[in-house]
Amino acid sequence: MNVAEIRGLTVQYGAFTALNGLTVDIPEGCIGLLGPNGAGKTTLLKTILGFVNPAAGGGKVLGFDIATQGRQIRQQIGLMPEQDCHIPGMTAVMFVAYAGELAGMPKEHALRRAHEVLEYCGLGEARYRNVETYSTGMKQRIKFAQALVHGPKLLLLDEPTNGLDPRGREEMLDLVQSVSHGKGVNVIVCSHLLPDIERTCDEVVLVMNGKLRAHGLIKDLKKIEGHPFDVELREPNAAFAEIAANKGGTVLDVRSHTYRIIAPGIREDAARFLLACAKDADAQIRGLVAAERSLEDVFLNAISTKPTFDIPGAQA
Amino acid sequence: MSVISPIADLTYRGYDGPMNTADHRWWAIAKMMMRQAIKKKGFWICGVLSGWYYMVMMVVFYFVDVLSANAGAIHNQFLSNINWKDQFTTGISTAQLFLLFVAMVIGIGTIANDNRANALLVYLSKPCTKLDYLIGKWVGIFIPLYCVALVPGLIFWAYIAMSFREYGSVSSAPWVPLQLLVISAFPAFLMASLCVGISSLFNQGRNAGFMLFGAYFVSNIFTKMMGGIYLLVSDSRIIKDLFYASVDGLSIGMAKLAMFTDGSTMMVQRSQQAAVTVGRPDAWFAILAFFGISALSAWVAWTRIRPVEVVG
Repeated sequence: MNVAEIRGLTVQYGAFTALNGLTVDIPEGCIGLLGPNGAGKTTLLKTILGFVNPAAGGGKVLGFDIATQGRQIRQQIGLMPEQDCHIPGMTAVMFVAYAGELAGMPKEHALRRAHEVLEYCGLGEARYRNVETYSTGMKQRIKFAQALVHGPKLLLLDEPTNGLDPRGREEMLDLVQSVSHGKGVNVIVCSHLLPDIERTCDEVVLVMNGKLRAHGLIKDLKKIEGHPFDVELREPNAAFAEIAANKGGTVLDVRSHTYRIIAPGIREDAARFLLACAKDADAQIRGLVAAERSLEDVFLNAISTKPTFDIPGAQA
Repeated sequence: MSVISPIADLTYRGYDGPMNTADHRWWAIAKMMMRQAIKKKGFWICGVLSGWYYMVMMVVFYFVDVLSANAGAIHNQFLSNINWKDQFTTGISTAQLFLLFVAMVIGIGTIANDNRANALLVYLSKPCTKLDYLIGKWVGIFIPLYCVALVPGLIFWAYIAMSFREYGSVSSAPWVPLQLLVISAFPAFLMASLCVGISSLFNQGRNAGFMLFGAYFVSNIFTKMMGGIYLLVSDSRIIKDLFYASVDGLSIGMAKLAMFTDGSTMMVQRSQQAAVTVGRPDAWFAILAFFGISALSAWVAWTRIRPVEVVG
């Protein structure tokens, strides 16, 4: 089942078109929404929430129409916005409980749940402090907690690791991963930090200039045609590449002592083939892994005006 | 994440408890506003001070009554001359400045501070509409202000009803309790509307406060001038209406209309009242100005409240 089905969505801010006929199906799970700055990621989230009205097109989120059923959608969604946001003059527990009440939880339930969620987000010790005195990392966590308090089916996380130090970033990514896997919560992580997306998400939607540029499982996007292997030798060995080529393999790339080779025949025989080549070339293999593109390569290719390889899911 | 925690199970669990319907989400906002308001010392101090006229009058009436009883008088002349109904319009009039202070303490920063803290993203990302937000904020200011305006008057009425019945405190003004319910709503209504309207224009509560303060005093000076002109120069109906064209004046004018009185000054003979008091305004002018300004403020807030800055 899809979490969101967007059809021909166009959003304009005056003369500027932020989303240009975007059509995409966002499946369940943890999805990364990627794109360069100004690509339309945040606008897509805001349109889903009903903050901006589309000029054309529409769609459904969790089965509800984004044009007419905004309240029902927001009942099922938690938003962690990019910028700092809190309600002035409140302690953390008061703020999160209030967020629960705003979502429709009875007061006692909201308060109990606020304590639970704050503990879960690692703010248990600081829950009676005024939110305005929080550090950047704590403010990120409180935003996460208020988004989570009413038990949403879909979490929208806009740049969740913004302004965090390495440890804080790790902890935030751990939180996102833990919520999004096996807890029944679907997550859309909107970011331009590719390692964060790779760490937490199974699938990505890549947007640029308000259009879909790529969409698919991360492992599929990173896959290279022909299933090549990266063979790391103890030291550079020209004979190894030559023998592999003579035996029917295709040498794609050589970087120092790492060779990217497509073995002939079926994939299961590749290791045997490469070991045989190494033996013949008197080379010592130190590493053997299935070669794949980095997500950065995929991203740069997708946003390039002259892509060097095809990316699945791109919108015409 | 905390390793030592009073909650044993720190893993995330979804919420499957009860949920309220989305019909009255504004009430959650209003309740929170009120919860925060009653925690502020300024609210209580200004709230108590707003009833100063009633308190002074209760002390005066008490001593006049006690002294007259000690002197052996059966019927006190001073108490017999009191216009009981006008005590409430005077009470509401003298409370205006303190009601402004209460509004400054609890209401003027409400939307401005939310703008500064991006709180609208929190409110509007939940199943709350812009209307819920606006109504919630308005009601959250209105109810505390209404209580501040109403409670001293009710206490005063209870006191005079129990103590000075023989002087006509009840018989001369039998509808006062109901009228009090109405006249106390006027300043609360206008202040709440002005607070949401002005507050929505700013990102800092103090700037919104300066704006309201300025509007109050500038319009107040204007109406004082109009009052002087009215009493000294002419009996012009327009000047009389302009006497009420201020933040506090509108509430006072509406109160006089609701009490069916022109007001009076206690130490002045009834025959000379017209020379020192400005009578009630034209009903249409007062109603139109009162609700027009309130509607304008609400409209300003409505246009300014949005979760995202839309450029272009």
